[in-house]
Amino acid sequence: MKSFSHIYTLFLAVAMLLLSSCVNHPDVPSSSKEAGCLPAIFPDYCDVTVPCNIAPLNFMLPVGEFSKCVARLTTSDGQQQTYGKGVKVQIPEQDWHTMLNASKGKSIKVEVWGQKEGEWLSFNPFEIYVAEQPIDEYLSYRYIEPSYAGWSFMEIVQRNLTSFKETQIFNNEITMNDLKIGQCINCHSYQNYKTDNMLFHVRLSNGCTVIVNDGKISKVNLKRDYTISSGVYPSWHPTAKLIAFSTNKTRQGFHTLNPNKIEVYDLESDLILYDVETDSVSVICNDPDLLEVYPTWSPDGTYLYYCKSVPLPEELRDKDIRSTYQKVQYNLYRRSFDVASHDFSEEELVYDAASHDKSATLPRISPDGRYLLFAEGQYGCFHIRHNDGNIVCLPLDDSDAVLRAQEGEETPSDVDLSNFNSEGMPDSYPSWSSNGHWIMCSSRRDDGNFCRVYFSYFNNGKVEKAFMLPQKDPELHISLLKSYNRPEFMIEPVRISVEEFSKVF
Amino acid sequence: MINKSKVSGAIFYGSLLAFILFVIYILYINQETLFTAHDRSEYIFGAPFFHRLLSKPFGLMQYVGAWLTQLFYEPAIGAGVMMVIWAGIFFVGAKASRLQGSSSALMLLPIACLLTSIVDLGYWIYIYPVRGYWFSQSVGYLVMLLLLWAARCTSRKWHLVWYLIAACTYPVLGWFALLFILCLALSEKPTWRELLGLLLLVFTAGIWHTLLYSNLKSTDVMLAGFPRFKTSLDCSERLSIPFWVLGAVSVLISLCGHYLERPKVKVFVPVLCAVAGIVFTLSLMFRDHNYIDEMRMVRYASDDNWHEVLELAEENKRPTRTMIFLKNIALMNEGGLLDRSFKLGYEGVGVKNPDSIHVSLLNIASPLVYYNYGMMNEAIRLNFENAIQVGFSPFYLKMLSRCALAKGDEKLVERYTTILHHHPFYNNWQPAPVTEKVKELLDCFPDEISGTENTESYIVNSISFWYESDRKSASEQALFYSMLRCDPRSFWPSMRNYVKLHMDERFPLHAQEAYIIYMDKDPEEKRMMLPVEEEVYNRYKQFNATLAKLVKPGKTLGKVAEEMRSDWGDTYWFYYFFGRQYTSVVGRKDNEIAN
Repeated sequence: MKSFSHIYTLFLAVAMLLLSSCVNHPDVPSSSKEAGCLPAIFPDYCDVTVPCNIAPLNFMLPVGEFSKCVARLTTSDGQQQTYGKGVKVQIPEQDWHTMLNASKGKSIKVEVWGQKEGEWLSFNPFEIYVAEQPIDEYLSYRYIEPSYAGWSFMEIVQRNLTSFKETQIFNNEITMNDLKIGQCINCHSYQNYKTDNMLFHVRLSNGCTVIVNDGKISKVNLKRDYTISSGVYPSWHPTAKLIAFSTNKTRQGFHTLNPNKIEVYDLESDLILYDVETDSVSVICNDPDLLEVYPTWSPDGTYLYYCKSVPLPEELRDKDIRSTYQKVQYNLYRRSFDVASHDFSEEELVYDAASHDKSATLPRISPDGRYLLFAEGQYGCFHIRHNDGNIVCLPLDDSDAVLRAQEGEETPSDVDLSNFNSEGMPDSYPSWSSNGHWIMCSSRRDDGNFCRVYFSYFNNGKVEKAFMLPQKDPELHISLLKSYNRPEFMIEPVRISVEEFSKVF
Repeated sequence: MINKSKVSGAIFYGSLLAFILFVIYILYINQETLFTAHDRSEYIFGAPFFHRLLSKPFGLMQYVGAWLTQLFYEPAIGAGVMMVIWAGIFFVGAKASRLQGSSSALMLLPIACLLTSIVDLGYWIYIYPVRGYWFSQSVGYLVMLLLLWAARCTSRKWHLVWYLIAACTYPVLGWFALLFILCLALSEKPTWRELLGLLLLVFTAGIWHTLLYSNLKSTDVMLAGFPRFKTSLDCSERLSIPFWVLGAVSVLISLCGHYLERPKVKVFVPVLCAVAGIVFTLSLMFRDHNYIDEMRMVRYASDDNWHEVLELAEENKRPTRTMIFLKNIALMNEGGLLDRSFKLGYEGVGVKNPDSIHVSLLNIASPLVYYNYGMMNEAIRLNFENAIQVGFSPFYLKMLSRCALAKGDEKLVERYTTILHHHPFYNNWQPAPVTEKVKELLDCFPDEISGTENTESYIVNSISFWYESDRKSASEQALFYSMLRCDPRSFWPSMRNYVKLHMDERFPLHAQEAYIIYMDKDPEEKRMMLPVEEEVYNRYKQFNATLAKLVKPGKTLGKVAEEMRSDWGDTYWFYYFFGRQYTSVVGRKDNEIAN
């Protein structure tokens, strides 16, 4: 009898455990007081437009303020389901994707109730619009603390955007053989959103550039006698085995009072072209007085866009960069490229940011070639550290607009990105999904310190409200004390394991 | 026979009691260390921290250890839990090794090793990057003993299964899984099963490296969880000794514990074990008065309890440089910086540590110091630089939260406090309001681009240039730090600004002393005339006369300083002539001729 009672207790405990791990479908509160406003959910997914294949948009109410949260999701075909456990709403992937499929081109209605001091409040319902266009299935980024001079563990990871699966591409420990100098990994880059041609840099201990060429891994040293450094910011040519790099002598300083806190600037920078097949490096431009940086190819590979600094006033030219950094501004240029001869034409000005007392960086052309996306701030080349850093989008097919831009007139009828940008917080590193319907940036908008990834729906120059990369546990965005660095879309995962990469060293 | 048994029992329980009292005493005298352990130990609720730890073998133990370390917020509670774990180790270990009666006292030895491992760290406490160190080894060892007990309760034919189970638990138990295999294999007469067990022991880590941890360096998988004390700058073999001894003792107990069952030997085992344990702990324990005082001072300063900081400063005659800075901040907040600072001492001694590790104000209290001087960007930077290396522990989260509050970054405050609220003892924690002093100093200096400076002299130099500020606090700090620099170029503008902003206020003693000596030694062309007390001026004349009398060719500065210290050590003049030699030139040979 005694042994039976033990078995019974054990069974009960296991059953309870299993039940507790099951999805909770709570009842909608029978009575509640109307709050008369939208819920202050985190992340803010109220009235956003999402891809038809995105992972569940889990969210939560503020922990200290509310004790419980219930959400009822209703699809356009009338299917309803409630979710909520504690203050969090976490929707099972299967349920969510069924709802998305049913709501393609329509919306999901979300009603939220929150319990505050024992009383239920009902908030104004909001919609989640489901676009018919999917987003690229994968995203890769580097996890790094918003650090200053020091760093510790670093990893480049890839995330499946249709689920929450995240796997490591590479980390900075497996091949580090000198703890004293450490190792930094950065600047992962892919050819045409695909991963059989890709690269990333390894700095300091075992320093090199790891290049994957048709799935074959090699490590190369891009430093030549005639370049100022090895390759830094890369851009794969969309069709040829060519990579444009900037070469930089980058420094950083720390503000003693300014809220921007960190200033990153180049003492020198040029552009080079690396031929993967022949392991040869040629110089694209290397004006000794000016700084060329952030190369990016047009989707058809016929143009190379890049940023170039404007000459400093005569009286500032010989001064220490720490006193002139606020005067350094970059314009956007391009050169046409002949893929057969590897020849570049003369440069042409695309956007005269300096004439608006601005500095433009990190250009990216939309896959259809119609739009130019870039980051802009008042000065400098590192807007992710500038509170005035914003993303700007110019239509490239509007030849009048470009002409006006070249002539330094007011900003051409640029696309309204007010739904995409934040107010007074750094937004930078913009990019396009492969179908051109989703734009992405890295932003410190949540608290001014930790970068998170934001997406917006882009359709014929119309941009919808940005939404944060969804997570299984919405609180992860609070407890993760790292930044998402250099988010890049991919249409397929990197299939090479960390160990395989490490064998190249 | 009965008497012998009673004597044996009395010796056993007496030894046990003595050892328990010793453990309690050691934990009691280290309670400040235990508090600091919690304050500098990272535990972050949520998936990122959990997954980060679990991505390596022994990660679960580290996670459990990191959570339990938070209990040291109340050192008595943490120490109580630790002692319960050790009691478990004692009883389970005795059962697992089939030690009976007096010979079970052998289990005091592993406990002594674990006790030693938490009191021998010294200044490594500020720089050790391994999460959950404080509890993970004890918990891991207890789990290993539980497995060993279970294994030894089963028939020998099942031992092979136990070897396999142990190999499977390697991701959880790390090196303790290997220790389990070794202990189980050696506790029985060798057969083919034991041989297989030992083979498994050799290959377990390698197998797991291939199966699950191929994204880690093989050296990080081998002997996972075994504490190694290595950072980019420092390395210590000494601190690994308790763990090597723990492993060795465990193996020896398994191998020959039963030999001690013989009555003649048995009687002495408890005494020998207790004494050996006590001697071992005492010989490796880190003891330094400043180490504890410094921790206490940091705790008080973190709570803005400046009165207690000053009490400690008054008690301690040979403070560290960190203590000097905290004392100066306490005087700024409590008042009397320019009246008492030189009386309270200014000769900072370096930290004393057998490993000669690179620990300074930077690691111990730099964010706290910069925060209180209103140098918020630097405070935030140093918080990050440190926390990235050693973890976002409560100390750094609290400081980051306070800095964010001072900068008006409410969302950041919310983030850090939300994380802290998941800690067992911080569920209602909120950053203290920004004090008026800090607010006053917040923007009293212009923005500049600085580098990665973080030394003590950077603080001194930076603040000595605040002489253009119109804030009273800033002018007081500028004057004080320009006095410390002994640099007339910053002293005179600082003095002028101070006087301008402190009209109709008493002229502080040390400021008078400084004014007199600079007027005498480094006057400006256009002299600033200030009234000084006659008594102070007369004392300066006496100081000069004494100095002139003692300075003789062939006599070193140090010798003169020692002769003058008792009468003049509390004056700025003494610092001006002798103090800098000790504070700014480390290791300078005392061979300069004072002439």
